[in-house]
Amino acid sequence: MEFLGYERPDGSVGIRNHVAVISSGRCANEMAATIADAVQGAVPIIHTHPCVHLKDDNEKALRVLTGMGSNPNVAAVIVVGVGCENPSPGKIGEEIAKSKKPVEVLTVMQSNGFQSFMDQGLATARRMVAEASGMQRKPFPLSYLTVGVKCGGSGAISGIAGNSVTGMVFDRLVAEGGTTIFSETTEVIGADHLIAKRAVNEEVARKFREMVVRQEAMIKATGEDIRGTQPTRGNIAEGLVTIEEKSLGALAKTGTSPLQGALEYAEKPPGKGLYFMDGSAMTSELISGETAAGAHIHIYNVGGGVSSSFRCPPGWMGEIPIIPQIAVVSRQSKPRDSQEKDFFDIYADTIVEGTESVDEVADRLFKEIVAVASGKLTKREMRKGYREPIVLYSLGPIL
Amino acid sequence: MRKRAMRINPDDNTGTALNDIEAGETISLVSKSGPVGEMTAKQAVPFGHKLAVIDIKKGDKILKYGEVIGIATQEISKGNYVHTHNVESTLVPGSKEVK
Repeated sequence: MEFLGYERPDGSVGIRNHVAVISSGRCANEMAATIADAVQGAVPIIHTHPCVHLKDDNEKALRVLTGMGSNPNVAAVIVVGVGCENPSPGKIGEEIAKSKKPVEVLTVMQSNGFQSFMDQGLATARRMVAEASGMQRKPFPLSYLTVGVKCGGSGAISGIAGNSVTGMVFDRLVAEGGTTIFSETTEVIGADHLIAKRAVNEEVARKFREMVVRQEAMIKATGEDIRGTQPTRGNIAEGLVTIEEKSLGALAKTGTSPLQGALEYAEKPPGKGLYFMDGSAMTSELISGETAAGAHIHIYNVGGGVSSSFRCPPGWMGEIPIIPQIAVVSRQSKPRDSQEKDFFDIYADTIVEGTESVDEVADRLFKEIVAVASGKLTKREMRKGYREPIVLYSLGPIL
Repeated sequence: MRKRAMRINPDDNTGTALNDIEAGETISLVSKSGPVGEMTAKQAVPFGHKLAVIDIKKGDKILKYGEVIGIATQEISKGNYVHTHNVESTLVPGSKEVK
């Protein structure tokens, strides 16, 4: 099966054709947003990383910002900064340039003054958009696609509805030669032994187990023990009986494919198939990491209840400037007005209602992925206006 | 429409209630692909909770998603409610119902 995408100089294929204006540090957010907002086709990548982090977190930030710029959905990049950020604007630009796409680095310090810096930013954005907008979509096999996933607002039905639907779609994408990424290290605890069993070799299994142990140790250091507190009383009241059941419900979204590798946060998969990426369950952080790893599309599985009754704000679903997010809902609370039937891309509540099977909804989601890959806008993409800076995974300490 | 329970994997010995099921009701059992049969719920099972779709012996593995989600701490006959009163985690031994 094929989709229509944009060919990039490094051989990858994008499904969107953005000119990204990347802020190299928090101080440059307003400049990046001002430039991008003034030019149709440009998107700002603004974030919360200041220059008071230490080496580990600075390296993570570099990996995320570089990965975002290198993502195939981006046609060209302007890195903007004051000039004194860490990671430095020059280093970010240099790393993104390895993907062979057009990159310009502009800083206030190296300009003739703030106004000429802004003028240069706007002129560069217009030139890049003019060039990018002339590109044509061409057919490519689905093996070029990378799809990420995250679930939220999960309930007793998430596992057998939205997550099982996504699992089937993930298996189908892998069968087509594509790449799939799941994360949320804390969520695999309780079913980590089953994921490790799916690893293609002992080295992958060991690396995966190490990431889980590392995460558990970090949590234990704060005085909490995840295994002992799961499932929560709320989970039990909803029908979940053990930590295994809770974790397996979350992992249903990974499908049944072998695990090809365990990636560090924001690390690009070295091959095709199913990958695990270390990361927290905080949506914004996780989506930033998956985008930086090269995901074209993100699937967000919403369980139900209160989380189905509002129009998924970026603060909860994560800010995702360059990749479309397909929102799937497993169970909708009764709509109170007609607007509430228009919040999600895929309504999987038909499984509970008995009007569709898991297979049928999976087929619908698969077709939606191909349509979105070929240019169809998601509900989130159609929204303009309010945005939040993306949140980068950092462990501290902060200076 | 009959009330339903989902046996998500054909190997599972549990089904998840897709409605609030009352004791004595005949329900439809569905797989990922659609209805696969009928059975009687002997006990009430709330929405999202589980019931045994075959007879389960004490010490048997409790299966959902084709995987082990716990161990039966007592015999659970087909149609009976499966929850914290008759299932224990394999990872957190001695886990009991939290009040």
